[in-house]
Amino acid sequence: MSQPLLGITGLSKRYPNGTQALDSVGLRVGAGELVALLGPNGSGKSTLLRCAVRLVEPDSGSVRVADTELIGLRGTALRRARTRVALIFQQARLVRRRSALDNVAAGALAHHPGPRTALGWLPPGERARAAALLARVGASEVAGQRADTLSGGQAQRTAIARALAQRPAVLLADEPVANLDPEAAAATMALLRELAHTERLAVLCVLHQPALALEFADRVVLLNRGRVVLDQACSDTDPATLASTG
Amino acid sequence: MSRAARHPAARALPRRLGRWLVVFVGLLVLGQALVVAEVDPSALVEGLGGVARLVADGLPPDPAALPSAGLAVLQTVDIALVATVVATLLAIPFGAIAARPRTGSRLLSAPIRAVAAFLRAIPDLVWALVFVAAVGLGPFAGVLALTVHSVGMLVRLFAESIEEMDSGPAEALLAAGATRVQVFSHAVLPELLPTMGSLALYRLEQNVRSSLVLGFVGAGGIGFQLLSAMEEFQYRQASMLLLVLFALITVFELGSARVRAALR
Repeated sequence: MSQPLLGITGLSKRYPNGTQALDSVGLRVGAGELVALLGPNGSGKSTLLRCAVRLVEPDSGSVRVADTELIGLRGTALRRARTRVALIFQQARLVRRRSALDNVAAGALAHHPGPRTALGWLPPGERARAAALLARVGASEVAGQRADTLSGGQAQRTAIARALAQRPAVLLADEPVANLDPEAAAATMALLRELAHTERLAVLCVLHQPALALEFADRVVLLNRGRVVLDQACSDTDPATLASTG
Repeated sequence: MSRAARHPAARALPRRLGRWLVVFVGLLVLGQALVVAEVDPSALVEGLGGVARLVADGLPPDPAALPSAGLAVLQTVDIALVATVVATLLAIPFGAIAARPRTGSRLLSAPIRAVAAFLRAIPDLVWALVFVAAVGLGPFAGVLALTVHSVGMLVRLFAESIEEMDSGPAEALLAAGATRVQVFSHAVLPELLPTMGSLALYRLEQNVRSSLVLGFVGAGGIGFQLLSAMEEFQYRQASMLLLVLFALITVFELGSARVRAALR
């Protein structure tokens, strides 16, 4: 792999209760690649993603996005670096009382740090871009709807559009299909794969369903007790190896 | 097998004793309260006659008191309205700073909470005395008193609302690189506007009640007229004013409840 867009090296995290959530974890995701991250409950998958964007502070290690090291950054530099890494959560986490369009446009706030956005204003250019992004993810029909009226699949697509509004290089998805029915889950995974391949994003996606991983991902990484125990192309992976990781 | 296991009655005895001890201590506390508060049922019985005379002297209510009462009522409501609006506008940013962890400031949260606690610990009537001494008699002292007390209440209530809300949307925007101020105005405020509106309305209701009595210390409103009527033994005038107060509070309570229900 040429220079990866996402490079994690030696990442470790021990929680105050003594749990070693991550133990010197390393993995790389290149541009245009969709990597599925699997593992049993408590293996450190969500902690890995949250450490990558510094929502949780790792104890040691390195997280590089393109040529920027995220560990050690503070204030404005950290906020700027975070724009390059978009995080999609299991719950869509939309502002319920705002429209889907406004939620998507809010994803670009970091690019407009002035006083007007601090007072609740959204740049018209970003609203227009948000409409285009909603169309891109196949959710343009819900642009004007309040977020709390959206179905699970519509909400997750809106969350993906919000992530794209950040102009990221890397997309981290933490169990994005956990609350979706099989049809919506497959559609969402297909969208993530398409975004990875056409937008040349590096996508790291936490999943509990090995079948989805093998169907949509380029590579699979298996975590167990905070350590990487498998990292290989899906085409080289025996489904039976992943069968017990849900 | 232990002695306690062989004899269930032995296990139950300490629990029963504990319960009786709690009852006994409770009765002691209540007893000292009755003594210190000088509760005297015989004085109440003797005083009932006086109350009956007062009620009789106040009937029927004097409608001649209505014209001057109208302006005083308007002043009472306006004192409460101005104080509530100003206090709400001040409490929103201070409440956000005081709320931990997503919008608040590590440095400023505790001092702001302490100041808010102090402001609301002092009763609004006492604040009215302070501001009457500072800015003179009149409704402005009442506005200041209610504003200060309301800021103390609303900062705490707004901060608690922010802390108790679903942190997901705010966390999502923080992870996207938004500043804390942007997170507040684009995630927290839109979600909490109905709650904050409801709290502000309830505060307005409380302030109207408080504003009624601020006149007793010279801080404007209908309280001054009521106090004057009582001191001049104009009980029919006083009963008319009390009827007006009752109508005012009832209208506010009903209206406020409806609007708060609509905000939910």
